[in-house]
Amino acid sequence: MKLATVFASAAMLVALVASWIIQDRQPKPVALTPTFTGQVEYCLTCHADLAQISTSHPVETFGCVSCHGGERLALDADLAHSTMRGGANPSDLAAVEESCGGADCHNGLAQDHRDHIQRVQTSLQTTYAGAIAQMRYTFGAQADLAAHYGVQAVETQEKTNPNTPDALLAFDPSKETAPGILKFAENCLTCHLEAEPLPGAQTYRFTGCAACHTPTPGGDPEQIVHRLTTAIPYTQCNTCHNRGNYDLRSMTFQTRSDLATDRLHDYYQPIAQFTRCEYTLDCVDCHTRQEAMGDGNIYSKKKDIQYIQCKTCHGTLAELPKTTTITDPNDLALRQAFLNPVIDLKVGDTILVTDKDEPLWNIRQLPDGAYEMIGKATGQRFTFRPVKGTACQQKVDQQESRYCHECHAVQR
Amino acid sequence: MSAMPSNDKRPSPDLTRESLSRRDFLALSTRLLLAIGGLVGLGELTRFLSFTPDPAPPESYDLSPADQYAVGSSTIISQARAVLLHTADGFSALSLVCPHLGCTLKPGPGGYACPCHGSSFDAKGHLKNGPANKPMQALRIEQTPDNRLILHTGK
Repeated sequence: MKLATVFASAAMLVALVASWIIQDRQPKPVALTPTFTGQVEYCLTCHADLAQISTSHPVETFGCVSCHGGERLALDADLAHSTMRGGANPSDLAAVEESCGGADCHNGLAQDHRDHIQRVQTSLQTTYAGAIAQMRYTFGAQADLAAHYGVQAVETQEKTNPNTPDALLAFDPSKETAPGILKFAENCLTCHLEAEPLPGAQTYRFTGCAACHTPTPGGDPEQIVHRLTTAIPYTQCNTCHNRGNYDLRSMTFQTRSDLATDRLHDYYQPIAQFTRCEYTLDCVDCHTRQEAMGDGNIYSKKKDIQYIQCKTCHGTLAELPKTTTITDPNDLALRQAFLNPVIDLKVGDTILVTDKDEPLWNIRQLPDGAYEMIGKATGQRFTFRPVKGTACQQKVDQQESRYCHECHAVQR
Repeated sequence: MSAMPSNDKRPSPDLTRESLSRRDFLALSTRLLLAIGGLVGLGELTRFLSFTPDPAPPESYDLSPADQYAVGSSTIISQARAVLLHTADGFSALSLVCPHLGCTLKPGPGGYACPCHGSSFDAKGHLKNGPANKPMQALRIEQTPDNRLILHTGK
């Protein structure tokens, strides 16, 4: 009995000394009380060296927990990270409502142009509804080409187009019987914002908002980048849109085997021809945020939402491109230019707008009638003139971009 | 009479060993271990109880003396995230915490601007453009009888 008491005392002493040593090795807590939450958090104790994610999200204002979740008072790494949202990526669509949403942030009202989350969740980039509808129609599982299913079930809250559905059901491969659809379900559902990317540096990206807004230089998954930007280079779009193609005979994905030597050849379509704009600019220089992130309607095919044409910027022989002069200091164009200040846009400037009146805020009319475009990702300045008044021989009834390509595409 | 030499060949008795039985040794060890453990535990308890969290930021700042601020001046009070204005009407103060989401406003031409989201305000704190939808918050300035200025940032 006495011997047991000695051992118990020794064990207690060892435990106390171990506890002392462990406590002594704990880093000195670094407290931060972000203005946005007003609640102290100790994340900077370990993460003080992390780069600020963007000028719109300073850590002094938002802290870490309002976006990432986690246990704000914990100093133990496992405990602190145990309740994080979306792992290292709080913008994953499974967590985005809680991380990035809220009426003050990216769940804002439609009229404030801040309802990004609802629009993204109903966009084709998330629903993949077009491809699912095409495949189900092709293999006889549905009678029309309209979207009925998405990767996840979704309802629209901002429908403005009466010809679009109110909701999509979740696509369930277990209820399909056609081998072609099953093969599609097995191979193709990585093409949407909720899916983990295919392995390999060429296709590496994050999910959710970060799939576009967190460019991954070099595509190295080990090099996690703490960055959010609207200056999105074409290489980020390539992680989904330029990685290869599906062989429709075998229904297998064929990754690119060629190694592009220059931008012109860095496209997977072997037969497509491209104009100078397409292989010089970045995708975001022309394609608008509604095209990329959706407009709140649930569409059945890409053509329903992708509407930018050559004439949007260049006009036609009969008409100049559509423009607007900024008069309101709250104009969306000014806000977008503020977030990516590659151009000193101001009230009084005349900019191009699309057929849907989306501002092309990086394209400004010059006093001599020409236009200047500033690359959103590069800051590079380009100038161009409208088609009107030139020797272009385009026919009046042939205004789509494919007709422009007949003359202006470069032979590859 | 001299003492007779002893014929006892046994070694001299180990008085220590004889006086500290196994039972006593265990009891002593237990007491020693418990004492050291108690001291270490007490030390840990003291360290735990002596932890003081970072103090909350103050809600009032002594900006005195008042006569160091010329009429027509506007002075940034960085530690209070505020600007002190001195006009012909007297002293006033505005919070530099943006009423949108809380970034710190920066002074610029004709007023103040939010470096995070682009809201801007004129020199009197009136909203020029959003996304903020409120003017800059006015703060209370107290001028004491001995001409000291106290800025109150609390609500």
